[in-house]
Amino acid sequence: MVVLAGVSVIVFGLVHLVPGDPVRLALGTRFSQDTYDALRERSGLDQPLVTQFFDWLGRALSGDLGVSFRSGDTVTSLIAERLPATLTLAFASILVALVIAVPLGTISALRPRSIIDRFATLISQFGISVPEFWMAIVLILVFAGTLGWLPSGGYVPLSEDPLGWLERLVMPAVVTGVVSGSVITRFVRSSVLEALGADHVRTARAKGLPERQVFTWHVLRNALLPLVTVTGVQLAYLLSGVVVVEIVFSWPGLGQLALQSVQARDYPVLQGAILLFAIVFLVINLVVDLLYTAIDPRIRR
Amino acid sequence: MRATRPLALAAAGALALTACGGGDSVDTGGGGDGGGDNTLVAAVSAQPDQLDPHVTTAYASFQVLENVYDTLVVPDPEDLTMQPSLATEWETSEDDLEWRFTLRDGVTFHDGSEFDSADVVYSYNRIIDEELSNSFRFQNVESVEADGPETVVIRLTQPTPNLLERIGSFKGMAILPENAAEDLDLTTEANGTGPFQLESSDASSTVLTAYEDYWDGAPSVDGVEFRYITEPAAALTALQNGEVQWTDNVPPQQIESLGDDDSVELETTASVDYWYMSMNYARPPFDNRDVRRAISFAIDREEVAEAAWFGAAQANQTAIPEDSFFYYDYAPFERDPEQARQLLAQAGVTTPLTMGLMVTDEYPETVTAAQVIAGQLEEVGITVEIETLDFATWLDRQGEGDYDAFFLGWLGNLDPAAYYQEQHQTDGPNNYQGYSNPQVDQLLQQGATETEDEARKAIYDQAAQIIVDDVSYLYLYNPDVVQAWAPGLSGYQIRADKAINFENVELP
Repeated sequence: MVVLAGVSVIVFGLVHLVPGDPVRLALGTRFSQDTYDALRERSGLDQPLVTQFFDWLGRALSGDLGVSFRSGDTVTSLIAERLPATLTLAFASILVALVIAVPLGTISALRPRSIIDRFATLISQFGISVPEFWMAIVLILVFAGTLGWLPSGGYVPLSEDPLGWLERLVMPAVVTGVVSGSVITRFVRSSVLEALGADHVRTARAKGLPERQVFTWHVLRNALLPLVTVTGVQLAYLLSGVVVVEIVFSWPGLGQLALQSVQARDYPVLQGAILLFAIVFLVINLVVDLLYTAIDPRIRR
Repeated sequence: MRATRPLALAAAGALALTACGGGDSVDTGGGGDGGGDNTLVAAVSAQPDQLDPHVTTAYASFQVLENVYDTLVVPDPEDLTMQPSLATEWETSEDDLEWRFTLRDGVTFHDGSEFDSADVVYSYNRIIDEELSNSFRFQNVESVEADGPETVVIRLTQPTPNLLERIGSFKGMAILPENAAEDLDLTTEANGTGPFQLESSDASSTVLTAYEDYWDGAPSVDGVEFRYITEPAAALTALQNGEVQWTDNVPPQQIESLGDDDSVELETTASVDYWYMSMNYARPPFDNRDVRRAISFAIDREEVAEAAWFGAAQANQTAIPEDSFFYYDYAPFERDPEQARQLLAQAGVTTPLTMGLMVTDEYPETVTAAQVIAGQLEEVGITVEIETLDFATWLDRQGEGDYDAFFLGWLGNLDPAAYYQEQHQTDGPNNYQGYSNPQVDQLLQQGATETEDEARKAIYDQAAQIIVDDVSYLYLYNPDVVQAWAPGLSGYQIRADKAINFENVELP
């Protein structure tokens, strides 16, 4: 709660510090001074900043995040409208990432400096360094253009059209999943390597446990901690919207909303979105901490 | 440039569109059955910010609203002269201070209610009384009153020859039903008299369905879905693989190659937009006419247009494009670096002179164009420092006068007053550069009240000549409207004012 209060002050301050006048942006280029003054008054921007902050905070505490300057919709409805798309993409991407990272990282740690290890390093290097934008465009041109297997983008809710939902999810999830997966692969590799060299593993081997059991009980379980941490960080990042991928694939997620509201200096929406991202980070950190205690009994003490 | 013109002519021949003045379009009936199959899917680049026609200023919103609302008069799709729409005829008084509009009979709103003069009075007074974004269009209007259900009388404070343009050039002047703002949430709901009614609008698309009782006959398609695809390459792919049937989001670098592509039909036409560079009169040496003229002589407009739009733009030394009645063929600045250097020396400027040029990434092509301008000015001893800003910051800096020079455009102009008045009149609302020439002021004042077209044109020609010679604006080019659709799609007409009207469109 203390963190959130601090965050809200910082968010409000930063958003208003950015140069740019939302009223001028909303009116375009041709308007009269009277029109300008009228809109400024209507959106409450003529009030002192401190008054604006406490107005906003008071309403935010009761769940009312205000009304968008740009669309006239409530901020909560704008965010709620885009939440399903963002959740879908974030979890699908994490799934893709883990499917890539866990096997690839583990195998390359078990066979360091082998062909497979070098291959895995190359792949993850590729995933980290290739721009998402480029990867997304190439996928569209190949799978939607040349081959015509998948739609070029868009989003339909799962409840309306399950097949269409899946078809549209594949490409964006692969792009963000490959990027996150590449990051996670490296963590998996190094944490498995570290666990393999630990004293208790040597002990387990020395007392004659089969290699299989050593691996599942003594190596994997210990390597899981860093994996949970990095997956949590990646998930939080994905949940706060992946702007580039959302734009290229016309995915109506929170990243696009945040970008639009920055461009329009739509303060209420921007404040609402950033506040939500802060909450997401806090919740995920909490979940990660809880998982720690479940995985590692030592932390419980 | 040469490559794009014949394209536009070739395809335009296939279309036959009547202006909204009358004529019954074919009623395909069908009574709204099915839905999916006969719906046009159009890929547009952005989501409408909101749907209140009197409040929004976003082009993305007007793409949709064009098909939902009507105005008293509308621009003719061919030559953009004002034609009857909700008003069938109008007459002006002897002193040109009173306009009487006769309204069309038998028009209904989408909710079934009858359209009459009270709706017009309500709509116009809403814009005036609430000082909404288009209230400046009524600056000469003294009153808007009904005279019986079929007549609306507009009284003016001074003769206003461009009144029709002011009330009809786009759907920002839409007629809403009386008390619409109280009865509906206009930001998300709509109740117009147009060919389509609003079905739904979310973060992925806006869906319209045909209005069967439309006064000019029901549209040929059952509906239109505007799907937002921001990335041009993705929009083009969607068109090529049949997900959408129409788009205006064509990657500029592909315009030329698409001309030979059988999987899409591409059309271009010169738009009524113009792009220009403007220098700050409050910052020496840009207050010096010779310095501005030197810069004008140093620039090759063809090359700038080519760089920005890959040929899909026409270089122009004045604001008004060639197709317009008010076009004035005046081009005193052929590129001449030698003369530019002489003028700079004459002005006592020591080179290299450094000039900041403010551009915005809101319009990425201007960033490319600015780089070409920088290269051209380098040759005459002017070092251009390009500043790329986001639009909000850009507007702030423009408002504060914190720049040497900037690059921007004016979009959607129809009347010469819109092209010149606010930008070049002394202390005009959009005269950010600080230009002041009593002769121009006098001409612009004359032009604003002259009611005879030929005489008006002569006045604006004179004004344009002085404005160009003084380099109040350094005019660069008029970009083309570029749109593409599925082969076989008919009944659609590309328009210079970029209004997108699907009333008569038929799917292949």
